[in-house]
Amino acid sequence: MSTVFSEEQRDCLQELINVAMGLASDKLARFLNTFVHIQVPAIELVNSAQIPAQFEAQYSSAEAALVSQGFLGNDGLRGEAIVLYQLENAHRIAALLGYDTDNASELEMLTDISSILTTTFLNGLAEQIDNSLSYSAPRVLSSRQNNMTEALIETACHWELALRVDISYQLIHHSFNCDMLLLIPGEAVLNIQQILDRIVEEY
Amino acid sequence: MSDDWLTGPILEQLSSGVLVVDEEFQLVYLNTFLQRHSSVQLTEAKGKSLFKVFADLPEAWLRRKFASVLELQSPSFSSWEQRQYVIKLPHLRPVTSSSQYMAQNCTMLPLNDPSGRRHVCMLIEDATDAFVYQQHLQTTLQKLEQSNRVDGLTQALNRRYWEEQLKLEVQRAQRYQQPLSLLLFDLDKFKQLNDQYGHLGGDCVLIELTARVRGLLRDTDWFGRYGGEEFGIVLTNTALAGAMEVAERICLAVSSKAVTFNEHSIQSSISVGVAQLDAAGERAHEVLIGQADMALYNAKREGRNRVVSYSAGETEFQLKTN
Repeated sequence: MSTVFSEEQRDCLQELINVAMGLASDKLARFLNTFVHIQVPAIELVNSAQIPAQFEAQYSSAEAALVSQGFLGNDGLRGEAIVLYQLENAHRIAALLGYDTDNASELEMLTDISSILTTTFLNGLAEQIDNSLSYSAPRVLSSRQNNMTEALIETACHWELALRVDISYQLIHHSFNCDMLLLIPGEAVLNIQQILDRIVEEY
Repeated sequence: MSDDWLTGPILEQLSSGVLVVDEEFQLVYLNTFLQRHSSVQLTEAKGKSLFKVFADLPEAWLRRKFASVLELQSPSFSSWEQRQYVIKLPHLRPVTSSSQYMAQNCTMLPLNDPSGRRHVCMLIEDATDAFVYQQHLQTTLQKLEQSNRVDGLTQALNRRYWEEQLKLEVQRAQRYQQPLSLLLFDLDKFKQLNDQYGHLGGDCVLIELTARVRGLLRDTDWFGRYGGEEFGIVLTNTALAGAMEVAERICLAVSSKAVTFNEHSIQSSISVGVAQLDAAGERAHEVLIGQADMALYNAKREGRNRVVSYSAGETEFQLKTN
């Protein structure tokens, strides 16, 4: 089974993701009542096995959190979306969402923010390919309680391919960065390739 | 809607709650599960504000959740791990569970009626079982942690945990430049006592002794069983003079009153070595133990049932003359 996307498929995917991000930022801006600028996300297809090492380098120094949410659509589209960020960053938009920054509501805030980012983005993606997604409840792993690298190693080994999407959000007066990882199992990769081929043919 | 005969009854039989509100947060639908648990009748509640019908809802929080579902047309979630319940409801296992209210996982979904008006549908799953297991697990882990720290016979701290605390307290004392003293004491002629009264007699003395000593200590002191009949006490924020006073009191508390065991009256005593922290560096706690041990050795040599302090400069076990 080939898990490598052709150049055409890749371009098509990048385009879909750009549009999805645009839709997501538009929705977020309306919801937060502030201007939201999202940079064109850099996407990269990586072998899942490489992920833990990559992220350990980036996130091990500070307090970080990981929020995972499963998604499931038609035509065998399924996977797990993981949003990673440094907690310091997360506090910044917590204020915008009207949360207290005490420890009790911190986890709740993390799940809400991540869930909004994930579902608005993925809904935008699904919309373009005439699909619709349902989601599992988000789960948080905070570096305060868990070893995140271990968790990533455990998660990543169940999936063939990871689509890494670097997202940088800028709100007026606020900016924050996070990484979104879409982990996709082998057979779903084939299904996505078929979907992409269909779209490429239509144009 | 040819599936109505299916969806209707299934919705009514579902052991999860289903609730629908419109954009003004007025109740549109409650399934049987929710009506029965909350004693709210849909016929009476329909069209009323959700926050009037369920007065103790976390209103501000829920409004924000619903607003995000309506505005973003994407789902929102609430987990019992972060918020035990959204709607305060009794659950069906009051006997087997310690929690009073149903723990809930909630999913809030966007839903449009046939004319396109926007609604929010909230699905409420009963997560009481998971909540109860989690609580059991936490209690068990706490107990386990406790038993991992304590010596089973005497209930004093075990050696491993006590030494960890000594090390931490030494570091703390060094950092904040506070005095710290260590007492090491040993039950005199323990072997003889065991031979005479049996090991149960010996155990009985150890238990009674630790109880008396514990009564003389502050909450901030660390009292641990160092070896068979040897114990250590870390006295935080205490200089040598204060530590000597505590040691004398402990020594007297043991020797002044016999321990009763099987109608025998067992007279016992302890020897105590005292040292104040003066070493620096990472091995300071080991140096301190060595110094208190030297003092204890001298207390034994000088005839037992007494307190001896370590004098600066002593580098080997020595018999004090006079």
